[in-house]
Amino acid sequence: MNKLFKLLLLTLFSVILIAFYSCKKDEPKPDNSPSEKSGKFIFKFNHVIDGQNIEYDNIKYVNEAGNHYGVNVIQYFVTDVTLHKSGGTSMMIDDWTDFAYVDTDIPTTLTWEVFDPIPIGIYDSITFTLGFNEVKNQSFMFVNPPEVNMVWPEYLGGGYHYLKINTKWIDTTNVARGCAWHLGIGQTYDSLNVVNGFIQNYFNISLPNSAFEITEDDTKEIQIVMNVENWFKNPNTYNFDEFGGDIMQTQAAMILGCENGHDVFTIGYIQ
Amino acid sequence: MKNIKYFLILIGLIVFISACKKDEPTVPEDDAPFMATPYVFDIPNHFPTIMNIPEDNPMTVEGVELGRYLYYDERLAGREDEGLYMSCATCHIQEHSFENGVGFGYGLPDSVTGISKHTSHVMLPHINLIWNPGTYGWNGSVALIEDDVVGVITDPAEFNSTYEKVVNTISNIPMYPPMFEKAFGTPEITIDRISKAIAQFVRTLIASDSKAHKVFRGEVNFTDAERRGLILFTTEQGADCFHCHGSEGAPLFTTNLFYNNAKDSFFTGIYEDPHDRYHITGDPMDLGAYKATTLINIEKTGPYMHDGRFQTLDDVIAFYNGKLKWSPYADPLMHKLIPPYENGAELTPFQIADLKAFILTLTDETFLTNPDFAKPVGLP
Repeated sequence: MNKLFKLLLLTLFSVILIAFYSCKKDEPKPDNSPSEKSGKFIFKFNHVIDGQNIEYDNIKYVNEAGNHYGVNVIQYFVTDVTLHKSGGTSMMIDDWTDFAYVDTDIPTTLTWEVFDPIPIGIYDSITFTLGFNEVKNQSFMFVNPPEVNMVWPEYLGGGYHYLKINTKWIDTTNVARGCAWHLGIGQTYDSLNVVNGFIQNYFNISLPNSAFEITEDDTKEIQIVMNVENWFKNPNTYNFDEFGGDIMQTQAAMILGCENGHDVFTIGYIQ
Repeated sequence: MKNIKYFLILIGLIVFISACKKDEPTVPEDDAPFMATPYVFDIPNHFPTIMNIPEDNPMTVEGVELGRYLYYDERLAGREDEGLYMSCATCHIQEHSFENGVGFGYGLPDSVTGISKHTSHVMLPHINLIWNPGTYGWNGSVALIEDDVVGVITDPAEFNSTYEKVVNTISNIPMYPPMFEKAFGTPEITIDRISKAIAQFVRTLIASDSKAHKVFRGEVNFTDAERRGLILFTTEQGADCFHCHGSEGAPLFTTNLFYNNAKDSFFTGIYEDPHDRYHITGDPMDLGAYKATTLINIEKTGPYMHDGRFQTLDDVIAFYNGKLKWSPYADPLMHKLIPPYENGAELTPFQIADLKAFILTLTDETFLTNPDFAKPVGLP
């Protein structure tokens, strides 16, 4: 009987123990990440020509080559935004999505509230990539509009446009012509005009005067300004009459734009 | 003794299992919320994941089935008493990709004048509308399929009826109240429920099985001509269709956006179309702009353009190849519009044949014959 009692006691104890542990709630795991103090970032995108907000669909601007032109819409990807500190350290903003899609026809895309917390401190500069680098520019990664409408055909290298500026200019016959001024992966062609190679045209942009300090719980709003006229000058004078209305298959035209792109973006304000 | 051991182990197991049972709230059967069977979508490869399904009209198996009956039931127009019959399927015919195949749609005649009016523009197919971002129609004026259904009922160029007539007619057909009960929880029949059910069915009309889609999925291969046609379709120095009509990476074969595609030179005064995109947005650059239609099943949906001016695909290709008309409103993407006027892609006859060969690969025969989309068996 004594043996039976011991067994009963042992079983009861085991049952209580098992029941207790099996009902333990899933408590949140302690955050092992360093408790770094941080602030937040909001990017605002603005687009100007000759320092003034763009009057869209109006052929009222003149580029360095003397072309009279107007802008219908501007669409592009900003990726790999990186914050640099003196001493060479840097931090790339990953955000949820790793990129910003900016579309002048969609006002909500002109504001990018960065999800990542930004560690407090003094930063020297901001850099980013226009478009996607060859690792990230993967076909089929977007399935939903508006990003999916930036698709760059497989035959021309695949992935997505870096930038679209749909524009019109007055040609040599004094008539307004449409131009799909689009940047993306370039191609090389053989003697039969068949694609036989690709050229990655994405490029990095360092924003001048982009030093800032962010303090704890601060939300820093940074306006990035695209100065559209700079796409068409410095170091290359881009002439619409020379390349016509489409450049996706004309590397000689795209490279001019890409080389001019270094000073297209500036900081409007940091506040 | 051995039995006691087993007994105790059994008790332990029972306690163990029952100890973790969650306290679920018990709902008296009478008060349980109505739940129809959720309709599960299988999103095709590379198709959008964002679907235009309003929160107040979730897709259900019962709702879709009811919608299919209503879509095909020619008593739906509510003018049975006048000997006049019309349903959605009267004009939206499956073999024509749920378009009418003849151009403009003609509504039921006016009861007083006996005159039938026609739609402002040619029909648009009911295809892949679940991915329309809320700009239905040639000018994007309709935000929801449900709204379109409601509009059709009273439109003089369509049912030319009244809500009361429609509701009364459907209510008096014995099979419908139980179907509404299955779909919505009660047998009550309203315009709102009719529109919701039809919209649910229309959202199931997905076409993703054309030869081109199969090639993109790696299931079959293009012929050489089709492959060359795809290259022409997706290159600016070719035909440059893709900027507005998609490609491998944009398999709806439409951006669902609006363009003035250089069909005309004049858009104001006597040339003004009060139903173009401009009359929705007020943006002068939208004068003469219309929806870029999907090219999936385009072979089956002529005549073409908003006014049906082109009878055949050959006519359409000929237009883009050399008959573009200049105007200040032409979209910049119409960059082949180069003075002197009336020009275009300037493809050779061989290239035109290749381009057409590719476009024909966008026909989805499965969609055109899918019995799930067809008239229900037994429906009069």
